[in-house]
Amino acid sequence: MIADLPRLGLGLGLRNVHFEQILSQWPAVDWFEAISENFMDSGGRPRAVIRQVAERYPLVLHGVSLSIGSTDPLNRDYLLKLKQLADEVKPAWVSDHLCWTGVMGLNSHDLLPMPLTEESLAHVAGRVRQVQDMLERPLILENPSSYVRFTQSTMEEPQFLRSLAEETGCGLLLDVNNVFVSCFNAGTDPVAYLEAFPCERVVQMHLAGHQHMGTHIIDTHDRPVRPEVWELFRLAWAKTGGASTLLEWDGDIPSFDDCHAEVRKAERYMGGSFEGPRPAAESPAGDSVSNPVGFLVPKVMESAVLEET
Amino acid sequence: MSPTLEATQRWMQEALVFPLRVAPEDVQERLASSAQLTGADGLAIYQRGYFLRITACMREQFPALCHALGEPLFNDFVAGYIQDHPPESHTLYDLGRRFPAFLEESRPDRDDPPEARETWIDFMIDLASFERAVFSLFDAPGWEGRPFADAATPPDRLRLQPAFALGAYRYPVAAYYHAVRQKQPAPLPPAQPCFVALVRTDYVTRTIPITEAEHRLLTAIAGGATATLRDPIQQRWLDWGFFIDEPPPALLEGPSRTGGRVV
Repeated sequence: MIADLPRLGLGLGLRNVHFEQILSQWPAVDWFEAISENFMDSGGRPRAVIRQVAERYPLVLHGVSLSIGSTDPLNRDYLLKLKQLADEVKPAWVSDHLCWTGVMGLNSHDLLPMPLTEESLAHVAGRVRQVQDMLERPLILENPSSYVRFTQSTMEEPQFLRSLAEETGCGLLLDVNNVFVSCFNAGTDPVAYLEAFPCERVVQMHLAGHQHMGTHIIDTHDRPVRPEVWELFRLAWAKTGGASTLLEWDGDIPSFDDCHAEVRKAERYMGGSFEGPRPAAESPAGDSVSNPVGFLVPKVMESAVLEET
Repeated sequence: MSPTLEATQRWMQEALVFPLRVAPEDVQERLASSAQLTGADGLAIYQRGYFLRITACMREQFPALCHALGEPLFNDFVAGYIQDHPPESHTLYDLGRRFPAFLEESRPDRDDPPEARETWIDFMIDLASFERAVFSLFDAPGWEGRPFADAATPPDRLRLQPAFALGAYRYPVAAYYHAVRQKQPAPLPPAQPCFVALVRTDYVTRTIPITEAEHRLLTAIAGGATATLRDPIQQRWLDWGFFIDEPPPALLEGPSRTGGRVV
């Protein structure tokens, strides 16, 4: 039951670049979220690190390749590995995204949007049930950031996720930054989105920075959380009753201490009144990528050693 | 009538992998426009993101090759690679698996006799193979936390540990790779046979230059042969953690869990 899941406080993504500091200093962070795919196939150091982290901190597994919305068959090998990892590190919960990553055996490594139709709802609901049965735990699904809307869609995302949660018992991960990004790009109201969102099903929230390109916003996860997103978080915090909150910082990742300081800014927004939507601030245009994944690839060269013989 | 979910996903994936094949009227029909973004603008964000995301990961997996080619040319090769071999696995670690073979298959002088081929392409292919081996060993199953063989281990119980690989190359790619790693000058080297053993202990991957004869010996051991290590250098292999102490395969109930690979 998702109602039994704990409130973990303010957490950080477990990132390769922070391993040394975490293992040597065991910093006082409330909890960690690990990207499942970064650890589930690992026979090397990442697996050893996540075991140690799981012994000391509450941990959550967050996936990017479940592809719950794909019309390809569910990947049972993937699910078995995910289950093995979950059995090993005993996460508070396992999450992924309302998206698909590929069809016809391919994987784009992007979180691609779903057409929001009755057909999609029935399709995803059936797969969520299968995944929950296999993992023997509720699945927690996140609203993705999006840049397109399908003309065939017949419902809004909050309505889709509410129906999905009611039909399957799954929980929801409310990414506040994604709400802002998707609504800005679609020209819709993020406050109205939150008002319609089934906040009683929210187990966790995400915060992240984004890049404003003038005409649109890219979900880059490479900078501090924007003031307008913090204001939206204030509203989301109140509506979810203080769901576990996590900062994602995945591009140009600063020091662990800077990431920790950034997520702790959330404490300033856990009360007070919502000041209403702010105009989104533009940032310089750059080579911006939505949902960056480069941070998932370890910098192997840095630790390679050449011996003399 | 609305397209099915399956048809929509196939269309969008095709649009990502082969952006030039997308018909503008299809985009207009399938994707809604907002005041901020037309459907085509939104699709272009996904198309551009797909390429940038994969190339960024490939640069992390092949940093020395990227250094050798320069980033623009490296990115061009990756663009061709992911058109021919779009990613299939859920793990990004698999992205570069077919890259060395792609470079070999797509070389423009592939049909020329060997003596007429461009040598720098041979170097790039060898470097890509070496980098793939190093990258793979980083997260391969290993032997950390368990005892290794030592000088007292009987020869017939010496087995190569799982996180071990052998490589044979036409160019000194290991020296080039480590020169790039140490930010030292790394000119393209002339051809010179290069034999290495790669081994991981305590989660550190080491490159050990070896001779051709040593490569032959270790290849034989990887194939199940028994070898007595008398030479001082070969004794150092024990110190580097090449071997574990395991009964001969015939005495095991199942297939051996160990044994290095030859790449």
